[in-house]
Amino acid sequence: MPILEARNLTKTFRRPDKASGFKGAVKHLVQRKYKNYTAVDGIDLSIEAGESVAYVGPNGAGKSTTVKLLTGILRPSEGTVRVMGRDPHVERIPNAHDIGVLFGQRTQLWWDLPVEESLKLLKHMYGVSDADYKARLARFDDLLDLGEFMPALARTLSLGQRMRADLACALIHAPKMVYLDEPTIGLDISVKDRLRAFLRELVDDGTTLLLTSHDLADIEEVCERIVVIDKGAIAYDGPIQQLKAHYITTKAVNLFLEGPADVPALAEKFPEYAWAAGEAPSEVVVTYESNRFTTAEVLGGLTAQLAPRDLSLSEPSIEDVIRRLYAGELTK
Amino acid sequence: MASVDLALATISFKRKIAYKTTWIFSVLFGGWSLLAGLAVWSNLIGDGEMGGYDWQAMKAYLIIGFLTSTLAWAGSDWDMANRILDGLVAVDLTKPVDFQRARAGEYIGGMVASVPAAALGTTAAVLIFRPAPPDSALAAVLTVVSVLLIFPLAFGINYLSVLTCFVTQRFLGIQWARDTMLAFFSGMMVPLALMPVWLQATAWALPFVHFTTTPASIYLGRVGTAGALGLLAAQAAWAAALWVIGRLIWSQLVKKVTVHGG
Repeated sequence: MPILEARNLTKTFRRPDKASGFKGAVKHLVQRKYKNYTAVDGIDLSIEAGESVAYVGPNGAGKSTTVKLLTGILRPSEGTVRVMGRDPHVERIPNAHDIGVLFGQRTQLWWDLPVEESLKLLKHMYGVSDADYKARLARFDDLLDLGEFMPALARTLSLGQRMRADLACALIHAPKMVYLDEPTIGLDISVKDRLRAFLRELVDDGTTLLLTSHDLADIEEVCERIVVIDKGAIAYDGPIQQLKAHYITTKAVNLFLEGPADVPALAEKFPEYAWAAGEAPSEVVVTYESNRFTTAEVLGGLTAQLAPRDLSLSEPSIEDVIRRLYAGELTK
Repeated sequence: MASVDLALATISFKRKIAYKTTWIFSVLFGGWSLLAGLAVWSNLIGDGEMGGYDWQAMKAYLIIGFLTSTLAWAGSDWDMANRILDGLVAVDLTKPVDFQRARAGEYIGGMVASVPAAALGTTAAVLIFRPAPPDSALAAVLTVVSVLLIFPLAFGINYLSVLTCFVTQRFLGIQWARDTMLAFFSGMMVPLALMPVWLQATAWALPFVHFTTTPASIYLGRVGTAGALGLLAAQAAWAAALWVIGRLIWSQLVKKVTVHGG
């Protein structure tokens, strides 16, 4: 049985339909008009226990709204959600005991108190025993270096420290299902790396994870499955490796020749590849179909005939694939 | 009270006293209003009386008004409202606690933080101005009960006003309207005895009257023991009714909660 199951999940919001300018403001005051806006449109999603799922999409695609529906914050306009067999909106309190939630843009720390006060309050809320509390704090300290800022007021923390503290808050009760909504937003590379390592450990321990992020490195490093959402509907749902295998069908090699590259002549000479000029006059980009040619074949042939002074290989990233999915260039 | 309620109240208490300067300002401003009230009413009453209050009784009334208004306005209504307006209510809804109870714990914890200021100010005022003593020992005890009932009553009124943010998306106007009603109908601004009969009847039909008029009436013996007990029962009934109304409204609002953005 899936730990999370959503069927035909739909959320429609009512938005004021107001013309701009003074006239529009006055008209709206007298005669209010609203338009319905569907943020999440009939999503079917099923997550098994222990899965790590990336939930990605462009801004306004409906990612955060979906998380709010799955966590019970919002009530679906249509459709159903079951998390560990419960309706998370109707059975909000029992559901909240079993889930951990982090909203990257909304802190759960008490702004004017030390971090440890927020964690102690959460210990009371979740009924965490003293022994478990100490053990989990020690682990968080190991992995996230919490100790250094536990006595600091939350409002004095850097963004990276705040996010690490918020992550500890979301996990202090060892939830079975964890939702992380943009947990690395605004963080520097070193903090991101540390957070990703922590999340990988979490997944290895069997925690089920749903992660939304605009940082595709988060997704590749932490998750096995990816769900791409666009305009409120699912555009792709499957293993990340499968997405790459299915859509990443070309590879490229950049050749740096001794003299200026004559792209049309090269294209005529090697018509089996696609040729394009590089950034430098002597640079040329060769794209080949990875299911027809091996990299060794391509490199062997080109280096023998063109004798480049240098070369570099580039493999399209998951980011390229998702960008193309967003742009509608690829289909399910 | 469960440990989580106490923990929430304690957190709120600590947050209030974290801002020492604001806290000291509130004491000074509260004391200033009392002094201003005493000066005005001393001039108005002189050696006579107004609405059944002589100068000694009016001093007691004003000091009770200072105590009750300090408590009534000490809660964290703006914190609650801002969490709704900023969307942080989304975080609150992911916690395994009853929303209303959690807010009550926080609110009352914030009120408790004002008790030292209220007690200090009241004691100083009593020692300096020597108001009329309580009508009897029993009246004194019942006055304390009435003052304690202000805690749940203040939460009920403030919580209901804050819930309107889900609909209005603004709090300032609601807060002004609520505070004006509270100051006027409680008798903090002007004793009810000086108002027209129809306005007094209106005030007695509302919960606000139990903030100042009820404890002051009990303290000064303007009602007998039975009357005092009746007033306390009405005060407790209002606190309970507001709690139930809050529950009913929340049960509908939670279905319509909208939190946009990440």
